[in-house]
Amino acid sequence: MKGLITLILLCVSTVSYSAEQAEEIFKQLAPSLYQIRLIDKASGEKSSIGSGFQISSDGLIATNYHVISGFARHPNKYTIEIFDHQGKKAPLTLQSVDVINDLAIVKREVDRNMPFFEIANGVPQKGEELYSLGNPHDLGMIVVPGTYNGLKKESFNDRIHFTGSVNSGMSGGPVVNKDSQVVGVNVATSGNQIGFLVPHDKLRNLYESYKASVPESIKEQMADQLANNQDKLISTLLKSEWLMRPLGEGVVPTVNIPFIRCWGESNADKADAIVLAVVANCSLDENTYLSSNFFTGAVEMEFRYMQAKELSDTKFYQIFERQLTQVMPGNKAGKDDVSEFQCQHDIVTPSNQAITNKAVFCTRAYKDFPKLFDVIYIAISVDKGDQALLSHFTIAGVTQNSALSFTEKFMESVSWK
Amino acid sequence: MEIIIEEITRSHKLIARHKFSQNNVNIGRGYDNDIIMADPHICAQHLSLNFNGDHWILNDEDTINGSFIEDENSKIKPAVDQHIVHSGQVFALGKSLVRIIFPSHSVPKSIKFSPFENLINLTRHPILLTLSIVLFSTITGWLFNLHNPVEVSFTQLLVPAVGMTLLFTLWPAGIALVSHLTKHDARFWGQLGICFVFFNLMWASDFIENLVSFNSSSQSMFTLLVSLLPISLAFCLFWLNCYVGFHMTNRRRTVIATCLTVLLFGGSFLIQLSKKPEFSIRPAFNTTLMAPSYLFTNSNNVQGFIENTKSLFTKAQESAKKEK
Repeated sequence: MKGLITLILLCVSTVSYSAEQAEEIFKQLAPSLYQIRLIDKASGEKSSIGSGFQISSDGLIATNYHVISGFARHPNKYTIEIFDHQGKKAPLTLQSVDVINDLAIVKREVDRNMPFFEIANGVPQKGEELYSLGNPHDLGMIVVPGTYNGLKKESFNDRIHFTGSVNSGMSGGPVVNKDSQVVGVNVATSGNQIGFLVPHDKLRNLYESYKASVPESIKEQMADQLANNQDKLISTLLKSEWLMRPLGEGVVPTVNIPFIRCWGESNADKADAIVLAVVANCSLDENTYLSSNFFTGAVEMEFRYMQAKELSDTKFYQIFERQLTQVMPGNKAGKDDVSEFQCQHDIVTPSNQAITNKAVFCTRAYKDFPKLFDVIYIAISVDKGDQALLSHFTIAGVTQNSALSFTEKFMESVSWK
Repeated sequence: MEIIIEEITRSHKLIARHKFSQNNVNIGRGYDNDIIMADPHICAQHLSLNFNGDHWILNDEDTINGSFIEDENSKIKPAVDQHIVHSGQVFALGKSLVRIIFPSHSVPKSIKFSPFENLINLTRHPILLTLSIVLFSTITGWLFNLHNPVEVSFTQLLVPAVGMTLLFTLWPAGIALVSHLTKHDARFWGQLGICFVFFNLMWASDFIENLVSFNSSSQSMFTLLVSLLPISLAFCLFWLNCYVGFHMTNRRRTVIATCLTVLLFGGSFLIQLSKKPEFSIRPAFNTTLMAPSYLFTNSNNVQGFIENTKSLFTKAQESAKKEK
């Protein structure tokens, strides 16, 4: 009994200690913490809000790219301003972005040295107490304690898994350790107590490269980052082991790499279905935010094995034809972002001669990022009467060479057993 | 001297023809006339025609509405009285028209039976007609089954098959009605026979189009060529419809058939064009898919396919630049 009371007392004391420390940290850091507002020039009202923090004495402020994406994409429509802890406003200029890691550096004109956050040197320990700062839902600056849970496993670009509530509006706010050093930047949430942070080294890299040379055009900087990241992703995919696994009577590839995750489904339980359908799809669980309805960087693969039950070949393929008409791109990019799709089709047999497909390839170009394309590939086998294998992939925001290398490997990998 | 008087409609279609050998002919509403007209705008004693040894002289009998002569441009000229009649002249009395012709009037060259006449007679033969209608309904029902994602029973197929057949019968019936209304021979069975033979040919051309687009790559020009097939079939059908239904010159028939074809295909093209959104996020490509037994073409290899895609990137990039 005595032991139990001690335990409870211990817990209470830990909690109160943690709360005290949070208060201490908040008081100390508040002057370097800001709300960032995107102001629509025409209406004069804020169109989106986020958080930001000072990272140098001369007025450089870090935030998320997605907080200021409106300005990055349409510099004539918006202005950016900050709102500090004393309620003062000041205009900001966009200096540099890292669109892949969702970071941006903005600058405010200052006439004296400002207090700023120090970026940590080392990685926190798993379970270490961290404090996330920001202004959720425009309610005022708050501090949220939470724990460091290592890097998210299934992700191509590193993200810290933070156990603590990160809410919208806190985006771009810093996450600090006990010593008030920045170990990450709030970026996303996945519901109850699961938050994601951009690791501090990404911010350090962006800051260092900004100090080395200021980028001339944000659009070109973004285009290069997108192209490089996607080239890196595709070459990682191509270099990884492609496991051949059976799907019905077909053989389809899956890439053996943690950030490509696969799911499956079939209608084997439905006795009255006229076609047996088995579906497997694999996709990259993350994509890159460009603007509210324009995401890029997605990779998706889908395979479908269909077998006719007492159905004429002609009707079986007619059902399949309908599936072809349902192809849609993976993102919702609109007229301002991309061109229309250009397509071609042909009857193709890969070099192993094991399958004959009707293959369709479509691509569209990005208007603001000249070297980038979205591609869609879909193929349906046309060599077996009562069975067919559909193979499909879509990649967003990729260069021509990467797209073609991937297409070639993909086309050569799908076959019958 | 003999004289021929034709009662004609305003569009110069023949209503009745009379031939007289006496030297005096009277026209009017009265029952004592040689030609008794029913038009209430005509007087009881309206016109008299007298042969004076050299010429036929036309006399208007002081009528209320008068008599007029139609000149070569079909324009009505003022009243005629004591007029010397020439063969082929058309006169207006009341709201009716009569044409006066002398026996020496030359007639146009006789038209030879065209080879189509045999074809038309063949298609309207009861056996062939039944066969082609049954074939049409069968194909319609089969296609309905094919496009239905679930299994369909025979009775479920019957309704759309018969419905479609009846719907397609409306076209020959419509033409027959128009020919009847324009004082031509209706020839309904002839129209029906021709139409159903051509409807079946259209299904065949559909199948050929599918077969070609399934077997050819997007680089091939075949698909474009084959799409001319239904257009020429439609032209032939309209031409034959005119041939069976109406007396007209070849030139006129060709012009009408061309107009109808342009209306049909141009109209559907315009409808498609107007439905097309300004910007489509959906990729558009040929989705034709057929069973393996219809695949005749040699396949391309992966390298060849990849090589062909390269031009797409250039095209997409150009259109992105242009639209920007």
